[in-house]
This record gives sequence, C-alpha cells and structure tokens, in this order.
Amino acid sequence: MLTYTLKRLAVAIPTLLLLIVVSFLLMHAAPGGPFTAERELPPQVLANLNAKYGLDDPLWKQILTYVWNVVTGFDFGPSFIYKDRTVNEIIAQGFPVTLTYGLLSFAVAVVVGVSLGIAAAVRHNSALDYAAVGVSIGAQVLPNFVMAPILVLVFTLWLGWLPGGGWQGPEYWILPVVALSTSFMASIARITRSSMLEVLTQNHIRTARAKGLPEHRVILRHALKPALLPVISYLGPAFVGMITGSVVVDIYFSTGGIGKAFVDSALNRDYAVMMGVTILMGALTIFFNLVVDLAYAWIDPKIRY
Amino acid sequence: MVSTAEQTTATDVAPKKGRSLWADARRRFLRNKAAMLGLAILVFVALFAVFGGLLAQWSNEELDYNVMGQAAQLGGPSLENGHYFGTDDLGRDLFARTVQGTQISLAVGVIGALIACVVGTVYGATAGYLGGRIDSVMMRLVDIFMAVPYMFVLILLLVMYGRSITILFIGVGLISWMEMARIVRGQTLSLKGRDFVEAAQATGVSTPVIIARHIVPNLLGVIAVYATLLVPLMILTESFISFLGLGVQEPMTSLGALISEGAGTIAYGTTWQLGFPLLFFVLTLFGFFFVGDGLRDALDPKDR
Repeated sequence: MLTYTLKRLAVAIPTLLLLIVVSFLLMHAAPGGPFTAERELPPQVLANLNAKYGLDDPLWKQILTYVWNVVTGFDFGPSFIYKDRTVNEIIAQGFPVTLTYGLLSFAVAVVVGVSLGIAAAVRHNSALDYAAVGVSIGAQVLPNFVMAPILVLVFTLWLGWLPGGGWQGPEYWILPVVALSTSFMASIARITRSSMLEVLTQNHIRTARAKGLPEHRVILRHALKPALLPVISYLGPAFVGMITGSVVVDIYFSTGGIGKAFVDSALNRDYAVMMGVTILMGALTIFFNLVVDLAYAWIDPKIRY
Repeated sequence: MVSTAEQTTATDVAPKKGRSLWADARRRFLRNKAAMLGLAILVFVALFAVFGGLLAQWSNEELDYNVMGQAAQLGGPSLENGHYFGTDDLGRDLFARTVQGTQISLAVGVIGALIACVVGTVYGATAGYLGGRIDSVMMRLVDIFMAVPYMFVLILLLVMYGRSITILFIGVGLISWMEMARIVRGQTLSLKGRDFVEAAQATGVSTPVIIARHIVPNLLGVIAVYATLLVPLMILTESFISFLGLGVQEPMTSLGALISEGAGTIAYGTTWQLGFPLLFFVLTLFGFFFVGDGLRDALDPKDR
C-alpha cells in the first residue's frame, strides 16, 4: 500500500508542476501584456511596472520564482488589475463559500444518488425503478446552467419559497446545492443501479440469501461494497464537474464564491487571478483523484499494487 | 444471446443470403425504439437549423422597434407580427436567433467531436499498436491530462487568444480526445495480434500504413459510437462557456448564449426567452444521447 501511495504521488506532483508551468507559459505567450491599455503608457512607467511585477526578469527566472512562491507559500502574487490586492486575498474571499456549497452538493449527490440507485436495483422493474431511470435520463440533459434558471423560475418567481440569489443563511444554500448536484446525483444513481443489479446476480449473494440472512443485511453487508466500486471511480470526474459547475452557481446565484472571481478576471484579462484559480482548482482535482485512487485500491481486493 | 438466436432462425429461413456485420448492426439499430425516436428528434432539429431561416420573417440582427424596450408586454410569441418565438428586449426575433443558435451549437458539437475523434484515434491506435514503453509513456500522459480541470484551461486559452469561434471549435475538440484515445487503444491491443495484421507485417507493410489501412478501419464501429456520444458533451461544453459570456460573441449566438440571456431576464416575465432555446437544447441532447446509446447497443463488440 505504501509503495502504491508513493507511486501515485510520483505522478501527482509532476502533474501539478506541469500544470503550473504550462499555465504560466500560456500566460506569458498571450498577446497583449497585463498593462496593455487603451491609452499607451509612457515607456518609463511601463518599465517601472514591469520591474515591480518582476516581468523584466528572464523567463526561466520568472517561472522559477512563480513556482517557488506557489509551492512554498501558496503565494500567487499580486493581481494585475486590482493594484492593491493580491491573488491570495481574492481567492481567500470566495473560497469558503465555494467549499461550503461544493461539499454540500457532493454529499447530496453521493448520498441521494447511491440510495436511489440501490432502491431502484432492489425493486427492479417496479414503478420506483422506472422513476429512477426516468429521472437519471432527464437529468443528463439538465446540466447546472439549465437547472439554475429553471429552479429560480419555479421556486423563486412562481412559488416564492426560496431566495434566488445571495449568500446570507442556510435557505440561500438550497437552490445552488440542488442546481449543482442534480446531474451528478442522476449519474451516480444510474451507475449504482446497474452495478448493483449485476452484483445481485452473483454467487456470494445467493449464498448469503441461502443461509437465511434478512434481505437488508444481504444488500448492505454483502452487495453494497462491490457495487460501489464503479461509483468510486466516477467520483473523480464528478468532482471535476462540480468544480467547473461552481462557476455557474457563483455567477447565477451571486453566491460570491471563487467562480465569480474567475469569470471577472477572465473578462478583465487579469491573468494572475485566472492562473491562481486554475492552479488551485487543478491542485484540488489532483489531490482528490489521488484520494479516490487510494480508496479504490483499499476497497477492491482485486487490485494488486 | 438474443441476437444470435434471431440470426440462426433468420438464416434458416433464407439460407443463401448472408448478412454483413454492418447490415446486422443496422437491423438492430432500426429495431431500437429509443434510438429511432432520437433519430427522429435529430432530423427535426437539423431541419430546423437548416431550413428554419426560410420560415423566419425577421433576420437575426434586425431590431423590431415596435417591441424594443417593452418585450415583457409586447414581445411574446405571436403569429401576427411574425415573431413565432417572441423577441428579446432589444426587439430581436427569437425564432431567427434560435435557428442560428442551433446551427452554431450543432456545428461546435460535430466539429469538436470530429477533432476529438481524429486526435484520439491517431493517438490511441499509435500507442496501442506500438505497445511497450512508448505505449506506457503515452497513456501516462493521457492520465496526466485527464487530471486537469480542462474547462479552466479552455477559458484561459479563450481569454488569452481572443474569443474567436475557431479557437472555441478547436479547444472544445482538443480537450476531449483523451477518453477516445483510451478506448481506441484498448481495441487496438486486441486487434494487433490478429492474422491479417501479422500478414501485413510479414509482407513488409510499414507501421503507419498498417495503422491507417488495417487497424483504423476495424475500429470504425467503436469510433462511430463514441463520436455520437461525444457530440452532446461538446454541445454542453460550448453552452457552458457561452452561458458564462465567454463563448461566441454578439451578434453571433449559440443555444448556451441564448439560455444565458433568457436566464438573466426571467425576472421580467419573458419566460419564452428561456423556454424556446432550452427546448431545442434539451431536444438536441436527448437526440444524440438516444442515438448514441442505440449505436452502442448495435455496434459495440463488448455487448455481443
């Protein structure tokens, strides 16, 4: 297990470094510097600005400084647009919000999805099963940016039950979490259902039933663990999808999370903030994939490492 | 199992007539009700995208000054003033814009999927056929790429190199070839030990030609299936970016951009601005998913 962990780490760390270097090079190669404005700056001012942000150093030195600052101190440097703010401040402001509804959505998607999938598989070909299949097909074509306006239309404008934007208390969490989690919930339900159906035909389940175990014990103790393996390998892509979807939530529900900072910086060409967010999200993704891989190896006895 | 049983009875009835793999797949596809429904939906959406412009009484850039600024009261869908789907607050005809949006979304989906297919097939077939160390390095690279939250990188690219539609097409395609490469590699591994490949090797055919002439044609079924399933994902990606206002730019539009606009204005009571683009978006995705699933059932060797 330790060797396997080390092996996985040996892939994860270069991936992260690669991501940092590639996004740095992309930024560097982009036409138009951060100080390209409508009115051209006097050369001396431009030179001073470049010196302040270290842009007059040779490229290799800039890369090394940037990577060093990011790796050792999570320091993404100053913002190019908001002269008095650092990227870290901008990220720190939005990140707790993103983390809150992100984790909530993830929990909802996994718990509801797995429960729905199990229920559908156990009651195979019942009305519940058909409903679950219908919901998961429907949710496939209802990604977060479609769910969000529909939810606001129904629950805010027509019914007036829930606030359609802002971030002031738990009632503001509901719509963002539902919008973000629905499509993943549906995918998890579909995956759980089909793998559960497959597991239920296997010999060890028949044995468990034959020795007279009550059905709920057969399902929870004997069938659930192998049935969850495909779900676990789906969690990585689901995590990426949720991180991406958080941008939509931040924009549409004005939750003030990190996605808003990302889109604003994209519209302002504030490369420093864009890179900071991209690298942070990349790091989270890589870390999460690592955890998923380790969990998979730990649960599945067939994996030899 | 079912299909083999059917095959035997069918050959009993008409013993002289054999059926090719493709004819067999076509028969299975035509029998799949969901896939046929999906195909019908897609034909409808495609007809709408291609010929919808002929029905429109307004162009997509024209402003209807009678409606401008009063979309909530006057801009609703109506046959009398020729705005079948209503207008937006600027008085632009939503029907014409939905036609254009559907065109752009379909184009991004198909072209993006094509790019992803070509890159993924060439990469996967090369890695699988060469095997050994080259294979493991190439596939490890794919693992690394797949761990990157590509949407952020794509947005980074779009912002840095100008938000042109060409970059959108290419970028959307280039970020999704990895899954394709994995599938193609797996299939190539099982193909390369076959007799016809060995025969080609023995007669001295060069490696690129073997890949192009002997490996890839045998992968076409799998490629077709995953290409069809890639199209809706491409459309989703493009719509996502357009929803954020980072995709296609006015006056050009896509379904995602229209949904975004409609979503922003629902508070003023112009529900049609969300409803019609959303309807075509959902129809298109449904169509592709159903057809893709049907093709997979008909062609995927795993299920035989």
